[in-house]
Amino acid sequence: MKNNSSIENIGELNPALLIELLTIYSQESNILKWDMGASSSQDISVQVQNGNAKQLKGSQRNNITLRVWNSKNKVGITSTSDLTNLGIKKAVKGALEASEFGNENESPEFSTLAKDPLSKSISMDSKSHDIDYLLNILKDAERKLIDSHESIDSVPYNGLSESSMERLYINSDGANRYMKLAQSSIYLYAKAEEENKKPRSAGSIRLSNDLDKLDINSCINETSSKLISHLKYQPIKTNKYLVCFKPDAFLQLIAAFSSMFNARSIIDGLSLMNENSIGKKIAVSNLNISDEGLHPRNVGAFNFDGEGTPTQNIELIKSGVLTNLLHSEATARKFGVKPTGHAGLGAKVSVSPDWLVVSKNNDFEDKESDLNVSSTDKEFILIDELSALHSGVKASQGSFSLPFDGWIVNNGKKISIEAATIAGDILKVFNNIVKIEAEQIATHQGISPHVWVDEISITGEA
Amino acid sequence: MTNQKDKHLFHIFDETIKSQIEELLALGKSSGADLVEIFLEKTDNISLLSEQSCISNVSPSFGIGAGIRVFLGKKDGFVSTNDLSKGGLLFALTQALRMLGLEIDSLNKDYFEGLSNLKDFGLNKDSWLNECPDLNESKSKLINATDALSRENKNLQVRRASYSRNWQEVLVAATDGVFARDIRLHQTVGINVIAEQDKNRSTSARRYGSSGNPNDLRDWDIEKSSFELNQSAQNMLYAKHVEAGQMPVVLANKFGGVIFHEACGHLLETTQLERGTSPFHDKVNQKIAHSSVSAVDEGISNYAFGSLSMDDEGMEPQNTLLIKEGILKKFLSDRAGSLRTGHARTGSGRRQNFSFAAASRMRNTYIKQGQYTPEQLIESIDNGLYCKSMGGGSVGPTGQFNFSVEEGYLIKNGKLDKPVKGATLIGEAKEILPRISMCADDLDLAAGFCGSVSGSVNVTVGQPHIKVDSITVGGR
Repeated sequence: MKNNSSIENIGELNPALLIELLTIYSQESNILKWDMGASSSQDISVQVQNGNAKQLKGSQRNNITLRVWNSKNKVGITSTSDLTNLGIKKAVKGALEASEFGNENESPEFSTLAKDPLSKSISMDSKSHDIDYLLNILKDAERKLIDSHESIDSVPYNGLSESSMERLYINSDGANRYMKLAQSSIYLYAKAEEENKKPRSAGSIRLSNDLDKLDINSCINETSSKLISHLKYQPIKTNKYLVCFKPDAFLQLIAAFSSMFNARSIIDGLSLMNENSIGKKIAVSNLNISDEGLHPRNVGAFNFDGEGTPTQNIELIKSGVLTNLLHSEATARKFGVKPTGHAGLGAKVSVSPDWLVVSKNNDFEDKESDLNVSSTDKEFILIDELSALHSGVKASQGSFSLPFDGWIVNNGKKISIEAATIAGDILKVFNNIVKIEAEQIATHQGISPHVWVDEISITGEA
Repeated sequence: MTNQKDKHLFHIFDETIKSQIEELLALGKSSGADLVEIFLEKTDNISLLSEQSCISNVSPSFGIGAGIRVFLGKKDGFVSTNDLSKGGLLFALTQALRMLGLEIDSLNKDYFEGLSNLKDFGLNKDSWLNECPDLNESKSKLINATDALSRENKNLQVRRASYSRNWQEVLVAATDGVFARDIRLHQTVGINVIAEQDKNRSTSARRYGSSGNPNDLRDWDIEKSSFELNQSAQNMLYAKHVEAGQMPVVLANKFGGVIFHEACGHLLETTQLERGTSPFHDKVNQKIAHSSVSAVDEGISNYAFGSLSMDDEGMEPQNTLLIKEGILKKFLSDRAGSLRTGHARTGSGRRQNFSFAAASRMRNTYIKQGQYTPEQLIESIDNGLYCKSMGGGSVGPTGQFNFSVEEGYLIKNGKLDKPVKGATLIGEAKEILPRISMCADDLDLAAGFCGSVSGSVNVTVGQPHIKVDSITVGGR
């Protein structure tokens, strides 16, 4: 293709076309090398209210992120959703301008693994459905949920969506990654109210790669049973309690402190850990945590990261010992290891976990082996969901103070807690774990068993 | 997605595309839709980050897109696209119509009378982008900021300063004749530090933001910000965890206003009324707050982060009195909210970008100032908490809110005492508003971002110092 060709709108992601265009522009601009991440998505979604369609949405979005190395080998980046010829030319110009301010102290390079074989191919052809089909499913779910109990009066937050996404990574060294993912999701957040009592709410979410396999009934049932269990509520006393984190809640907490495993955060001084923390014992011996982006239950799995590095399963904590970190190309180079497939794409590349898996190391005994969420007689607090993680977590200090939904359980009797907060330090939580149950439960954000922790501060209103 | 390679792209937002937009709107209206709205957007953003004394990230980004919304009765279909070719927009329009069971009837063009003359709110703003600091000037300012932090205190482990410039050009056209264009410029600077000493760590952060002021970064008083931030970090370094319980609190002005934003503001958006989740849905002209509380939401304050010349539905913003001396007066409403709840539009239809349908959202929201001095509020408390700096917060679906305290001090016998950390305030909107018993005379505003149904939008929160008679303080 010639630079002066008449393409006004590239439209769909076309790797060959993009490579050709970028090759031309980089030659014109003395760009030493370049790489690019791009994504394209299409989705439809519906919301309902009282048996009627409320909002029906569709979208198609493209985005590219372009990184260039200028003649002084300094890196600049830009992103754009304007996939016209002019748009891409403007992006190249923007990246070149930004490269003048590239960080000479820490410059990224191509990932050494960007052309390695991928361990898993992901190319899902989505079977798209008519929006009326989605609408009818959601109307039916709303009705079933409201009918499930006389106190449930509405489902104010709900949605059903179906989407497909393409993602690619290419570079001037010949790397060319491509994947296609299909995903469906439903969320139901219902409200219930009984006379002379406060309104209560609860919700749940389900994800699948195929709308027809989305487990809508379990989403309805979980929301309903959870909400019904919150109808009878009481304030609790401020005290230190034995706490059992449900899998979702424990994963929320770990994810909020994932900077502990993040090499980028460690280098930047933003983590609770430091460069000498690998090999240190930071938790009880029976705790294992890994990041497994390619786990079969991860419906949002990507098989390569923003730098084209294959996604890998990484053991983070084994037997309570910090064993590995999550890396980009630049952080891996600094630590003398290989990138792990957890990078974004940038002049300063971010790092993040994919899919956390918490498990019990059976080589070690639980401190309180008799504890079990369904049969324990002791009084404990069962934490269902944490809130306000964006503001109540001090990741660099290791502390948290968070509102939560949950129950106080005594002799097997569960009573919803009216309003309360939980506060503590993540390392104390890790070291006060008294039981990790055997059964691992898959959630939409990872896998974890129920985890029991002793002596956690709970503030109540009693 | 369309593959059409149309010669004409909807990339110039002015009168020259009027006839083409009218053609699209007429096609949409021919289907029998009640109303069709097209929102076009271009963005030109840049962000820089300085860490320690080095620029570590410069990220320009550009965007284009369109959102097409069709109303039929009380429901609506919305489709967004990056494809601003004529074919791309026609495809999006067809999709939005089909969602509502409508089809273009090209023979039927009688229903649309055409657009009004362009109302150009962006007329005197075309130079804004060029008037903003360039990359060199921005870089220098940020490095000055991190250096100033270093001068304040050599023991700061992490020093960061960031700058974001978000330039947006929008055009709104609808079959009720609305045809309006605007240019928006939002800039934010943020600084944060981590202080460390004797194995104690504290973090402190500040963010400042403005709209429509190209000189905002140039005018930033670095020395003052650095001093305040360092003071806060040092004060919190040896702070003990707050003891949990129910207690009276005094919330400082500026970002303390997040309590009203979360505990009340969201519940006064018609978006919440539509869902049936606002406890105030039937309380207009009734008392919902202490008589010391009057509150407004407006989009007109000069340079305030939540100010607008027009909302994202082409309507000029208003100064909306929400609460007068404790009595609920008005809700915030957008086009859909007005249609579904009957509350008149207030110029509050806002969206993060083209990929969201507009919804009723807050702009500059604050409690009006009262008659007391801040000292009088503190003197009125024997044992309580002074929240000098607030973190973020959120509100749940039934009105329960929470927010974190970044910098807090105990109040003992009417005086400020030791610093405390780790406090989270929780409560129910209906219960807290009547407990705001004293408002000081020092109203001030602070910039923030608010995430909700139509994405993340720029807002201002604000208040004078206020006293809440009793609130649950989560701690240890």
